[in-house]
Amino acid sequence: MSENTTASTSPGVPVEDPTPFGWLTTADHKRTGRLFIVCSLLFLVLGAVLDLLVRLDLTSATEFVTLGADGFAQGFAFSREALTLLFLIPAFLGVSMYMVPLQIGASNLAFPRAATASFWTWKISAVVLIGAYLGNGGPYGGWANGVDLHLLALSGLVVALLLGAISVATTIMTMRSPGLYMDETAPFTWSSLVSASMLVVSLPVLLGQIAILYVDHRYGRVFLLGNYGVWERIDWIHRTPQLFIYVVPVLGVAAEIVLATARRKVFEPLAMYFTIGLVGLFGFGAWANFGITGEGADIIDGFEGVVLVALYGGALLGTVGLLGLLGLAIIQNRKLPKISTSLLAAFGAGKLVLVGAFVGLIGAAVDWLEIAGRGNDGNPQLRMTTWVTGQQSVLIYGAGLLGLLAAIHWWAPKIWGRQLNELVGLLNFLVIGTGALLAFAGPTLSGLFTEQPDFVYTDPATTALYANWVDDSGAEGLSAIGAAGVAILIAGAGLLLLNLFISVGLKKGLRADDDPWGAQSPEWMLPSPPPMGEIDELPMLSSGTPLLDSAEAEEVTT
Amino acid sequence: MSDTTPTLASGQPQRPRTQLVATGFACAAISMMMAGALGFYMARRHASGPHPGSDWLDGLAVPNPQFDYALLTLVASMITAHWALWASRRRDTAHAWTAIATTLVLGLGFINMVMYSLNRMGVEIGAGEYQNLAFATTGLALAVVVVGLLYLGLMGLRSLGGSVGQQGSTTFGAAVFFWDFAALVWTVTWYTVYVVK
Repeated sequence: MSENTTASTSPGVPVEDPTPFGWLTTADHKRTGRLFIVCSLLFLVLGAVLDLLVRLDLTSATEFVTLGADGFAQGFAFSREALTLLFLIPAFLGVSMYMVPLQIGASNLAFPRAATASFWTWKISAVVLIGAYLGNGGPYGGWANGVDLHLLALSGLVVALLLGAISVATTIMTMRSPGLYMDETAPFTWSSLVSASMLVVSLPVLLGQIAILYVDHRYGRVFLLGNYGVWERIDWIHRTPQLFIYVVPVLGVAAEIVLATARRKVFEPLAMYFTIGLVGLFGFGAWANFGITGEGADIIDGFEGVVLVALYGGALLGTVGLLGLLGLAIIQNRKLPKISTSLLAAFGAGKLVLVGAFVGLIGAAVDWLEIAGRGNDGNPQLRMTTWVTGQQSVLIYGAGLLGLLAAIHWWAPKIWGRQLNELVGLLNFLVIGTGALLAFAGPTLSGLFTEQPDFVYTDPATTALYANWVDDSGAEGLSAIGAAGVAILIAGAGLLLLNLFISVGLKKGLRADDDPWGAQSPEWMLPSPPPMGEIDELPMLSSGTPLLDSAEAEEVTT
Repeated sequence: MSDTTPTLASGQPQRPRTQLVATGFACAAISMMMAGALGFYMARRHASGPHPGSDWLDGLAVPNPQFDYALLTLVASMITAHWALWASRRRDTAHAWTAIATTLVLGLGFINMVMYSLNRMGVEIGAGEYQNLAFATTGLALAVVVVGLLYLGLMGLRSLGGSVGQQGSTTFGAAVFFWDFAALVWTVTWYTVYVVK
């Protein structure tokens, strides 16, 4: 990785160890951020491969093709955990850790060593989680100690992510440059604050539940009845609306890139902050998913239905509002912005958040109003079918991965000092976009038309039910479409890693100057990449768009 | 960076109360953790008991006086913690030392009293649903108290190690705030699991 080794020499400021050992003990937010980004991308490949195996299993009406009846349930659970706790949340936490201090004029994160501890705790917990699954542990596993180990690893992951989120949120709250008020911060900083705050108040619910699950599973299994009861109680963190919290930073990335490309300030900044906050706020309802819908496959109706419809409706409203504001900024510019990978991916990601919210709203409304007999006569509600898998795909792969592609392409000059190959980037956008749409469309249509179940919570042996569901109903073909989409997505993730390796690792990418995009937020006032360690001189900020402000001031003067 | 851009020196804290804000976030997280655990407890109680003819407590009798004394001890420790903060702000080292030491002793006494109460009650892990739920929720609440005690001790030592006065008291104030919060966590847990049951 490219590294500017100009360490700080200010008194009282820790000097970074430039050797590889320094990555272990770093107190530099830039190193910690990079560690999170790269490692989460590697875990994405793991999660997507598992997801592919699960989806391949669903393509046969008569047998489990890849994982087998026992491994299917574990593969399903592992893929969901890998895609959220090992990829989506830490990836954007890493981007936040890197970018937020630069965007607010702070020399470092509020608790840099806590941020480093959060990375290593997350990493070690991830390894333990993988070990638990490899040893036949995890939900539906046959090794009892492995199930306990899985719960402990899950706790470690949650604690680590919380530590990182608190560090980011505290930095934004307390370390902004004097004169930089909250309503003047860059959109990505605001979205990071919203996402981190919502993580802080939602993920710990899982921690409390895990404590009880662990005690009961380890001692007596009084109400868990084996390990089948674990997954249904922790599944809510991988489902909507909780997923909206994880993709809130995507909205910040989209706003950042679109506004900078259009060279405009947003028409009404407070409205932009409000819409981003709305998506985060309505994602918060997820923790109540378990409480609302009860244990297992209960039917939702009445008040529960209203709550879910309201949650999705709020998220939809927020996303529509934000995209409307961004569209307005482009129209105000009166000329087409320069097309780039980051702009396309940012717009695509924003649109797919919208699709995710829309699909959620439709599903909740259909279930609540019992349209097409959903919830009656054994007709499964959409929330119990692969309709949910479709939602997960569009938010994790579509919004999440496309958003990350946009963020990496946009900020690569600032993170690594090199620009990524734009042609490969455009191809990457097409590959990821196509894969995400297929991975979304297959299961969504299958859930709608064939009522293929999302998951069967009880005995692993009953996962054979999948075979019954897909028989003669067209679900085989739709599952194959979803599987093809995930396979394409794996290629897309590989392409992104390859582009990073060639452009950054092999230093083939163009060396970037301070502001290669003509952007407007404060991080572009610093060298690319900023020096390792704390920066000696920080810009005194009074606006989240200082470069645009000075350009406008120059125009007025001339 | 542009030559005309005004700059700040690195390492200069732009805003105070960083630790207090972080402590606030931690308290929010812990509140939700306890909400998750106690919500789970209440959902299971609703599903499994107490119904007519069923014994949710599995024959256990809650030793109310002991738990009450434990709570009173915790309240007393909150008072002494604020005494320590008050003294620390006035650079009154002798009073601050005494108050911090008293708080730590009372905190340890509280933990001891809760353990004694649980032993007296005969809560046996794995013996029944209530026992497992009570063990997990009480364990979480006690863990919060232990963290609060360590935080208080650490910040107290730092405060008395030279950074007394208004500046040092800000970090110690964060620890005292957390200790108040830990007491609240215990009170809610105690009321849910041992009073309402």
